[in-house]
Amino acid sequence: MNIEIKEQNGSFIGILSGWIDTAVATQFLEDMKPLMDHADKSIELNCAQLEYICSLGLRGLLQLNKESAAKGGTLILTHVEGEIQKILTMTGFIKLFDIR
Amino acid sequence: MESIVFLGFNLYAWITIATVLSMFTVLLFTKLRADLVFLSAMGILFVTGVLNAKEAFSGFSSTSVVIIGVLFVVVAGLTHTGVLQWIVKHLLGQPKSYSKAVVRLMLPVAALSSFLSNTTVVALFVGIVKMWSKKLNISPSKLLIPLSYASGMGGVCTLIGTPPNLIISGLYADNTGTAMNVLATTIPGLFCLFVGVLSIIAMRKLLPDRKAPEAAFESTSDYTVELLVPSDNKHIGETIEEAGLTNVNGGSLIEIVHYDDITSPVPADELIMGGDRLVFAGQIDEILDLKKSHGFVNADHHVFTMSEVSGDRQLRTAYVTFGSSLINTKIGNSSFEQDNNMVLVAVARRGNRIDQPPHEVVLQAGDTLLFECPPNVNIHTERLTSQLQFFDSAQVPNIGKKTFISTTIMILMVVLSALNIIPLLQCAFIAAMAMLIFRCCNVDQAMKAINWEILMVFAGSVVLGIAIQKTGIAERLAFGILDVCGTNPIVVMTAICFVGTFITEFISNTAAGAMFFPIMYQAAEKLGYEPYPFLIALMVSVSSSFATPIGSPTHMLVYGPGGYRFSDFMRIGLLMNLIILAANIFIINIIYPLTPLQ
Repeated sequence: MNIEIKEQNGSFIGILSGWIDTAVATQFLEDMKPLMDHADKSIELNCAQLEYICSLGLRGLLQLNKESAAKGGTLILTHVEGEIQKILTMTGFIKLFDIR
Repeated sequence: MESIVFLGFNLYAWITIATVLSMFTVLLFTKLRADLVFLSAMGILFVTGVLNAKEAFSGFSSTSVVIIGVLFVVVAGLTHTGVLQWIVKHLLGQPKSYSKAVVRLMLPVAALSSFLSNTTVVALFVGIVKMWSKKLNISPSKLLIPLSYASGMGGVCTLIGTPPNLIISGLYADNTGTAMNVLATTIPGLFCLFVGVLSIIAMRKLLPDRKAPEAAFESTSDYTVELLVPSDNKHIGETIEEAGLTNVNGGSLIEIVHYDDITSPVPADELIMGGDRLVFAGQIDEILDLKKSHGFVNADHHVFTMSEVSGDRQLRTAYVTFGSSLINTKIGNSSFEQDNNMVLVAVARRGNRIDQPPHEVVLQAGDTLLFECPPNVNIHTERLTSQLQFFDSAQVPNIGKKTFISTTIMILMVVLSALNIIPLLQCAFIAAMAMLIFRCCNVDQAMKAINWEILMVFAGSVVLGIAIQKTGIAERLAFGILDVCGTNPIVVMTAICFVGTFITEFISNTAAGAMFFPIMYQAAEKLGYEPYPFLIALMVSVSSSFATPIGSPTHMLVYGPGGYRFSDFMRIGLLMNLIILAANIFIINIIYPLTPLQ
């Protein structure tokens, strides 16, 4: 699991990659903190290289989404495909995120 | 043979008396089927020439017997669409005192029994009253006798409420050519019910305060229910607290199974996701309400929308039998659900609470399983007998549109016949057909609902009544009563009702009705009075069997669950018999004043 955060013109891009399972989910939440701190900005999470996400990981994404909405920022998920799309569809979270 | 007379009765009369006495001796002291005994009695009366073929088999074509048969189908429609459950849920409530509890219980039970079979009503209420009594902290033995009494007193309130009413009114119509109104007994019945409720409250100390032997087993708090969150559920993304699941009516959320892990105990900030399996423990009916309020579904396979799941399914309860191949297995590991087209939604085990999802429970003999099955699908319970013992009386239908339809059909049937727009027999046929057309019950359920044994007993009772009348026994007994009681009609009415009330403690109410009809009819005519009020009084009295548990099938239904003894019924029942008799005679003479024959 890896998350790479870049800042571009005042907005943030997070590139998620690998396998976010229960074992690394706590670390994932920790790594997301910088984005949480900038929830009032525009944030894009690129899921192109993300292979799997566990329920705890989804919880982190939803918290970030709620935080963004509360602080007037935006969160979009991009390149949601394959297994990740299946998980988001099954859990119904696909309707909770702005996915492009 | 008619010329041979002994003690005022000819040989035919003596054959009839011997047949009746032997029949009731056999019924009291052997386990022979009642229908067989009545059929044999009919056979004896026919073979010995007491009755000719037309008379001996007239019971089968008797209008009242046919009405009872058709009403079985109407009642099946009502019971399979959850009318009883709706009433239980909305009327019992949480009364704060014993008196209020008795009123809350007896009035709806009486109202239902005035249209449905008393036995059906009591069978469905027994389990509910036991749970309710726990909630109210009242011993079930304090409420189960009132339950049974209420069904008996309620049954009297309409002609269709109890078979003796139909039999007596049918015989009256045969004799006079005038049909009784379906609501002829309503006012006297309601008055006796009112007196009965007050008497129970006043005599509450005569009811035993006993703990039922299998109390622990019947508690539904031993159930766990597994519900699934569809992918389009409105609560997805909310916490358990936000979705209002931290305090669920009747139970609690004990486990949440996400697609990748299991959380137990469940914290208030746990998120709800589509595909989650929520495991609740507590009272099953209240927890299953979450399906409606929160849009959850049964946890059989993953569903993406609620529309994939029919909201109109039937629930069936079954025990795991001894020697069942399901013992030591988990339902989740077998194809049992797919093979039998049903889904396990809950498991209960005697004395032990099962804090596991139902599909993960390693089953043991005696476990109680609650299954949900597709609507209108006949589960072949016979095929599963070696594995599961299904209880038919514990069927828990869902409440929905059909509940309203079946209730409307029943009300229309009563109103149309009460207003003499359509005769009761035709009304009953139309109502039965309507129940089938609107799928309130299917053909199989309707056919199964017809109790042929009871119909045979009713037909036999009618024939016995004819024999008693034809052989002059009724007339002689009527004269005998007049000799003892004089010519005061109220005294005669009271005397016959008194004997009827006590005879009906030992024989079926219907047989008592059929046997006492000719006696009461003859007595009234000999006195020179119109028999109508006498017969209404007879209807009430033959249904007033309170003093022995064998007096009514409903008493037998509450006898075990209430942990009663034979004497418990005697203590309060003897007084109840006398009180209701007094109330009966009083109200009949006010509502239907005695009028001389013209």
